[in-house]
Amino acid sequence: MPLGMDKISQRTANHDRTQAHFVQEYRPLITAQNIHKAWGKIVAVSDLSIEIRRGELFGLLGPNGAGKSTTIGMLIGLVAPDSGSVEMNGRPPTDLATRSKIGFAPQSLSLYGELTGAENLEFFGALYGLAGQTLRERVKWALQLAGLEDRSRHRVSTYSGGMKRRLNIAVALVHKPDMLLLDEPTVGVDPQSRNHIFQWIEQLNREGLTILYTTHYMEEAQRLCQRVAIIDGGKLMALDTVDSLITKHGGGSLAQGTVDYVPSGVSLPGNLREGQWRHETTTPLEEITRLTQAGVRFQTVQITRPDLESVFLSLTGKTLRD
Amino acid sequence: MERFTQSGNWGQLLYNRSPGSRAIGDNCSTTDLQAVGQLGTIALQPISRPTSNWGQLLYNRTQFAMQQTIALALKDLKLLLRDKLGAFFIIGFPILMGLFFGLVMGGQQSGRSGKMKVALVDLDQSPQSARFRESLGGTDGIELEAADEMAARESVRLGKRTGMVVVPKGYGETAGLIWLEQPEIGVGVDPSRTAEAAMLEGMIMQATASLIGDRFKEPLAFLPSIQTARESLLAETAPNPAVQLIAGGFFDQLENMVKSADQLQKSDAPAEGDTGSGGFEMNFAKIGRIDVTREVDAKSIEGQLGKRRSQWDISFPQAMLWGVLGSVAGFSLSIARERSQGTLMRLRSAPLSKLQILLGKALACFLTSVFVILFMTGLGLLIGMRPESYPKLAVAGLVTSFCFVGIMMTLSVLGKTEESVSGTGWAANMVMAMLGGAMIPVMFMPGFLQKLSVISPIRWAILLIEGAIWRGFSWGEMASAIAVLLAIGATGLAIGTVILSKRQD
Repeated sequence: MPLGMDKISQRTANHDRTQAHFVQEYRPLITAQNIHKAWGKIVAVSDLSIEIRRGELFGLLGPNGAGKSTTIGMLIGLVAPDSGSVEMNGRPPTDLATRSKIGFAPQSLSLYGELTGAENLEFFGALYGLAGQTLRERVKWALQLAGLEDRSRHRVSTYSGGMKRRLNIAVALVHKPDMLLLDEPTVGVDPQSRNHIFQWIEQLNREGLTILYTTHYMEEAQRLCQRVAIIDGGKLMALDTVDSLITKHGGGSLAQGTVDYVPSGVSLPGNLREGQWRHETTTPLEEITRLTQAGVRFQTVQITRPDLESVFLSLTGKTLRD
Repeated sequence: MERFTQSGNWGQLLYNRSPGSRAIGDNCSTTDLQAVGQLGTIALQPISRPTSNWGQLLYNRTQFAMQQTIALALKDLKLLLRDKLGAFFIIGFPILMGLFFGLVMGGQQSGRSGKMKVALVDLDQSPQSARFRESLGGTDGIELEAADEMAARESVRLGKRTGMVVVPKGYGETAGLIWLEQPEIGVGVDPSRTAEAAMLEGMIMQATASLIGDRFKEPLAFLPSIQTARESLLAETAPNPAVQLIAGGFFDQLENMVKSADQLQKSDAPAEGDTGSGGFEMNFAKIGRIDVTREVDAKSIEGQLGKRRSQWDISFPQAMLWGVLGSVAGFSLSIARERSQGTLMRLRSAPLSKLQILLGKALACFLTSVFVILFMTGLGLLIGMRPESYPKLAVAGLVTSFCFVGIMMTLSVLGKTEESVSGTGWAANMVMAMLGGAMIPVMFMPGFLQKLSVISPIRWAILLIEGAIWRGFSWGEMASAIAVLLAIGATGLAIGTVILSKRQD
């Protein structure tokens, strides 16, 4: 969904703020070097190298079957790469002590439906060594974060989809990790829950939490992530800041509007059909100004900048993957 | 670093206990710590300064691993308690099985048929003894077979017959003549069947009573005995004519009375059902006990059943195994369920080894199995089961639980989906139960099935538990079953661990 001008401004403002934050914290937390993984004859990840910086909100994007899950599995030590290496703070993620610093919220709701929300948090907290007063405090904090204090003693099976999704993330945070992996965290939630989750993520990132975020919703990645890696066919297609990716791969802006009058002798660039004008250009404002000065009258006009979705489609193509 | 300063933190406690470790917040940065988080002392050891106390480090890591494993097990037990159907199959179903089979076993009276088999030794061979035999044989609940005394005694000794009845020589002369000394009927009964002995005596009394009734139905039958008595008295009182006169008159009147009664009976037939016994009660029969020593082949069904002290002694070990099987079925699904609901991935991303995840399941399954055995023992005690040895029962319960935990571990990793694990588990459990005697006790199976049953761990488990409850096993006799069960359990644990560790979920 193309963003409007107001959204662009908001995103740019957010980026200015958050980019400054992550530049300050620039230090690698996770480093994957030339990792390769094949399942039988199918190559899931091929010679992939990425670095996630401390305090960064990093997006990992790719179509279905691109190798995102395998990549995440290797980053957190669930999948052993056939070749290459992954390190977190200089240690392999298979190291149990390293794992204790990772919070992982899988795409599927990984919760015990017959336990209450509080019991789920207590159980997973205990697995990370929390106990006693500390555990109680962290569970209380996580419940507040998820907005589930009132339902904390109810079984998870009675929760709505949004509540489960929020608890799914809260469980990943209960032990206060250094690194949070969110795999499609907003699938199937309503706009209110989604907004709530975005606010958390931004707040936690501002507090210094490093976050790896995967999603199919490009506007989410564009809103939240400072840097984005796009992978397809197990290969890294691009890795940069959102703005740089758009500049490099997004193509021109789209100028479009309803035209009332075109003087004779003036040629409109782009397509004009039944009064509707569309034109892709890298200099939309200049073009519109020139046309107006030439006597062209517009009833409405809209400029849409290229977005991450444009970049994504540009890099991965429009062929169906499922 | 905020987390390290929180009081009550488990990691903090361990950290404080570790000698040589630095104080919390002593300028330790994230980078010079081997790990950050609440992982206990191992997570807080500075990399640059390896501790000299590796033993302590290992101890702390082990302790933390145990803490995690216990947390996993408690979570599974909590989930089990909230799954009412699952809990029913672990607790409720075994109770029903135990009570059902117990009632069946009790009704069978150790597998014996409803009719009491009795050998009759007729040393008299008189019409009266024949009448007695006919009357006794016509009684419901008795199956009378003629035999000589030797064969009768042997058949009771070997348990082929419940008892023997000996009709003495001369029985017919006085049987049914209640004013004369009654002949002593010999009765020998299997000592283990005292209830049937009392029934047999009652039947003998009934048969004798009918004999008396028969005597009164035919008054003329009394004449020979009156004549014998007259001759005997006259011979004894020969020197005294007065007594002979009086006695002769008495016997004349007695004979006239019997003849008159006979004529009266012929002219006025008795009403149907009137046995003529007059309804009075007397000690019609004199019964003497014959001592029969019982010898039972210890390996025979009867020999085995003879040892039990309650009808629940057999059904409750079976029921315990049903509970253990329920536990195995429930927990073997657990890994597949964790996989399907996504929690396995989250567990695997936690600072846990695969082995710990499996051990958590194993611990929960073990505790559930032990609980089932304890619960069924308690219930059995309430309704009459009396274990011979509680220490042996405890060992049997623990070893059985361990064995089936191993089986659970293997079953849990054989399939990847709940459906495949459930199907595999169901099939395996049913085969083990059928062959092992959880449905029909092994002793009642045909010979070849009894031999085949050795492949079922249930057979060994039931044997072990029965050995403690009623078979009176010594530790030596229990050793083979213990060894088999421990071996199966250890093999199952190993298979489950190897398969899970090789699997990429």
